Amino acid sequence: MLSRVAASLYWLSRYVERSDGILRMLKINYASSQDTVQEFTWEPVIRIFAGHDEETQKLGNDSRAVMRYMVSAKNNPNSILNIITFARENARSVQEHITKDLWQCLNEYYHTVKDTRIDNALKKDDPVSVLDILIKQVMLYYGTVEITMERGEGRSYMNIGKYLERGIQSVDILDTKFGSIDGNPDLLTDTTYWKHLLLSLGGYELYLKKYREGFEAENVLEQVVLNNDFPRSVIYSVNHIQRYFDRLKNDSNIDDYRELSFFIGRLQSNIKYSSVKTIKEEGLHTFLTQIRSQLYGIGDALNNHYFANS
Amino acid sequence: MQESAYFSQYNPIKGVWDEMYGENNIRDHYSKVIDYLSRESAEDLARKEELAKRLFMSQGITFTVYSSGEGIEKIFPFDIIPRIITVDEWAFVEKGIKQRLNALNLFLKDVYNNQFIVKDGIVPIDIIYSCPHFLREMYQLEVPYDIYVHIAGIDLIRDHDGTFYVLEDNLRTPSGVSYMLENREITKRLFPDLLPQCCVRSVTEYPNILYKNLLSLSPRQISNPTIVLLSPGIYNSAYFEHTTLARLMGVELVEGRDLVVKNQKVYMKTTVGLQQVDVIYRRVDDDYLDPLVFNPSSILGVAGIMGAYRTGNVAIVNAIGNGVADDKAVYAYVPEMIKYYLNEEPILKNVPTFQLSNIDERQYVFGNINKMVVKKTNGSGGYGMLMGHASTDEEIDDYKKEILKDPRNFIAQPTISLSAAPCYMQGGLHPRRIDLRPYALCGPEGIEIVPGGLTRVALKEGSLVVNSSQGGGSKDTWVLA
Amino acid sequence: MPEFKIQHLTKYTYPAPVRDSANQIILYPIQDDYQEVIKQEIHISGDPVIDTFIDYYGNKVGSFTYSEPHSTLLINSKILVQTKYRPLPGNDIFPAQQWQDLEKLRYMVPFIDFLRLEYFDGFDDLKALVEAEKSKDDTPYQAVLRFSRYVYDNFQYIKGVTSVETTMDEIWKLKAGVCQDFAHILTLMLRLVGIPARYVSGYICTHHSATMRGEGATHAWAEAYIPDYGWLGIDPTNNCIANEAHIRLAVGRNFSDCSPVKGVYKGASDHRLDVSVAVGYEDDTPSMHQPGEFIEAPEHKPMTTFPKNSYQRYMEMLQQQQQQQQ
Repeated sequence: MLSRVAASLYWLSRYVERSDGILRMLKINYASSQDTVQEFTWEPVIRIFAGHDEETQKLGNDSRAVMRYMVSAKNNPNSILNIITFARENARSVQEHITKDLWQCLNEYYHTVKDTRIDNALKKDDPVSVLDILIKQVMLYYGTVEITMERGEGRSYMNIGKYLERGIQSVDILDTKFGSIDGNPDLLTDTTYWKHLLLSLGGYELYLKKYREGFEAENVLEQVVLNNDFPRSVIYSVNHIQRYFDRLKNDSNIDDYRELSFFIGRLQSNIKYSSVKTIKEEGLHTFLTQIRSQLYGIGDALNNHYFANS
Repeated sequence: MQESAYFSQYNPIKGVWDEMYGENNIRDHYSKVIDYLSRESAEDLARKEELAKRLFMSQGITFTVYSSGEGIEKIFPFDIIPRIITVDEWAFVEKGIKQRLNALNLFLKDVYNNQFIVKDGIVPIDIIYSCPHFLREMYQLEVPYDIYVHIAGIDLIRDHDGTFYVLEDNLRTPSGVSYMLENREITKRLFPDLLPQCCVRSVTEYPNILYKNLLSLSPRQISNPTIVLLSPGIYNSAYFEHTTLARLMGVELVEGRDLVVKNQKVYMKTTVGLQQVDVIYRRVDDDYLDPLVFNPSSILGVAGIMGAYRTGNVAIVNAIGNGVADDKAVYAYVPEMIKYYLNEEPILKNVPTFQLSNIDERQYVFGNINKMVVKKTNGSGGYGMLMGHASTDEEIDDYKKEILKDPRNFIAQPTISLSAAPCYMQGGLHPRRIDLRPYALCGPEGIEIVPGGLTRVALKEGSLVVNSSQGGGSKDTWVLA
Repeated sequence: MPEFKIQHLTKYTYPAPVRDSANQIILYPIQDDYQEVIKQEIHISGDPVIDTFIDYYGNKVGSFTYSEPHSTLLINSKILVQTKYRPLPGNDIFPAQQWQDLEKLRYMVPFIDFLRLEYFDGFDDLKALVEAEKSKDDTPYQAVLRFSRYVYDNFQYIKGVTSVETTMDEIWKLKAGVCQDFAHILTLMLRLVGIPARYVSGYICTHHSATMRGEGATHAWAEAYIPDYGWLGIDPTNNCIANEAHIRLAVGRNFSDCSPVKGVYKGASDHRLDVSVAVGYEDDTPSMHQPGEFIEAPEHKPMTTFPKNSYQRYMEMLQQQQQQQQ
């Protein structure tokens, strides 16, 4: 497979996964903003998904302005509109390598988000309905990939992209949320705070089933980093990166394979042999920073060894 | 024959050759189709038109128009009524194109080697040496089998008496062949059984012949050489065509950044390392092909590819430097080339052409500009043309100023009346102007022309411009057996 | 017969490793009756294979690729070359006859290429000036000398005000530049009166005592075609005939036909370039001149990275990809 094709499939998938993360995050935060008028701030969401600059400062804490900026703004390179445009362009350049169904599905997602009605509705209607329309497009996409895509090299790159993106997102969200505690220890016992974190990762119900004793920072940490069954945990993402990377083993690139395989394996055992206790000893921020840089390292290594730096 | 409602309302344009209507009656070769149509109601035809549009859209047979950075996807308008060419007409056209291509190939070989034709004063030297597409990098460079033009899309038009004229020889990166193929597929869906009834010849062999020719050019004598189609990328208006051809031939579609040159060999970058490339069917212009040798700001090309080409390690289709043969100032000399190289009389006629670098000819053209079409010598796609009869005085004056800056870059031709063919619009048949672009493939075993081509049509009433960028559409083109 | 040892070093240093570089060098002195290469060694970092060929103008051109990531590219050319004084044109044919002879070349290969004029803003001014400068009974040879003097007197030699990308319009306005600009103007002036003129790149080799413009770097001058004599080298930067002290590397229509080193690579756009040319005489070891401030910067372009923002890069790509198809 051409390196550029592999890279396009990988990025296409990363962008869609990112859009999923953004949309869910927006949905939960919007709900929160309606609940807790006083303490609520959009700041962490903006920091994770858009970064700090003049544009984002202008947004203030205006929920609708923030959502429009994150969904339909042309001047935000990370808006859903822009990342889905990138996803579609990546798909367009590899049309012979994806199924027609998948292409049409992405095309529809693109046209949906591009429709001016989305932006108008975010201005004045119920934002949750708008976000649901878009989240449905992502789900259609994942269904279509699952049902139609050939189980070959291409799909492996797509899955590596997807789980790498997801792993990075979970790490970022954790780091931001736990980082706020340093400045405000009261949050440690704030039930709403943890509930909100779990909701935005879609892990609230699983948490309730597993931990009967209420919200404890340590339990949240355990679920989001170490739980093999939680599809948004860091270890789950890394296991899947490993799983799909394994399928790329080929005689003619054994050296490249070994090097990357080593990176992934090291990351996997770093997490697997950690416990909440060791993480706390090491310091959560240090731990997460290290995981994040290793995830980025995998991305760079893929780019060097498999994507010919394209 | 039953007098069809569509036909009785048909108003041929006076003084224009009509492909369907002759001597107060339907020409024989159109009668079966008109019979078929007359059995269909206007609603049926409207439905077929709708179906055609839907098929094009859903299959993504689109081109993208960009304005202010935003892309709008459009379909190339398709008219459902086929354009029909008789056995005799086709035999004539086929023979004429083969002759012309043979001469043009010999010309390219000559102009980049001994330059006999220049030394003998047949083609003026300054026209060659001032042509921006005459590439000195091609001088004495050997190309496989001495073939320069592997794929040509020669544009033909018909004057008021039906005589065929060559309007331009497209010898660099002719496009549109995917529409020839797709239009036929659509017609099969629109008019079931009509094609076999009318004994229409098939065009589906095109990708197979092209593939066979590409294969024969491989410098490495191996059983499975790597052939790629090099596209400028997804923003190119012909990107759909590039993907279609790559798919039909089963070759890899690549962009410049997928390729790299190492020790005068071209490789493509794959996830399992470099893979040597043997033949490149490129749809990237010469100027953008190698930033080391040509336009240094090109990001579409492959640095060093010219070295690989020169050393014979890769075959490039079409050859580099062909633009000197389809330059519109050089075009005027093609009939002379045919006599010079082949010792034959030209079969297909040339449109009379005035060189604006020649003072006398320029004076004549300026004095008769209302009867002229003025074109840029290296233009294409109908851009930068002046149609004298349809321009304001101001436009003409501006254009004259432009010409005087560099007269070598312009030629003028008398306005030729394009033939007309019936198109289905507003519930009836109406004559619209058309041209014809057959696609000729030149390989080691000779020239093959798939029976058919792209018929472009000026959909606006009274318009003579058939280019897709200027409101043109296309028709399926039938060559009868 | 003078013998020169020349060492020409070109070194690119990149802030971060670059890849996939493709390069072309025209560093092989021309071999003819007046110039003989006794020995030449070219060493390039990474030891790539250099493939050479003869181009349309008769120059020997080398090309090589360097695909592995690298942070420097060093091209070291060592030449031992012998030159011979060439007698100057005589004065035994009537001027009118000579101009007539030149007229016959107008539509002949290769002269047609060396007579072609390019239009620029100051074209009409230059034309008037050339007409005024040339006196009626000049031979072509005398016209060449007169025009060279004119360029030498009226253009200032200033390093760094122009680059390879400076257009004729800008040079004409500046009335200043370096050797390549001087050579460029002179070729245009000569072509305007019908004397075929070509651009030459090479080295200037003077004795230790004398200093000439263009030392320490590659130099450029012009050649004019004189009937019954052939190509006469003329150096407007130093206002002298280019003879046994000028080593010719390449000839062509203009700078880009003769560019001594050029390349394209993938990676960051900024790089540092150091060039030095050192000349030694006979058995001397080459004395290092102060490395000249290299003005005729070889074209060396990154292919994928532009010193623009990514949006502009995207627009550029969009525009290029939309190039017309026939």
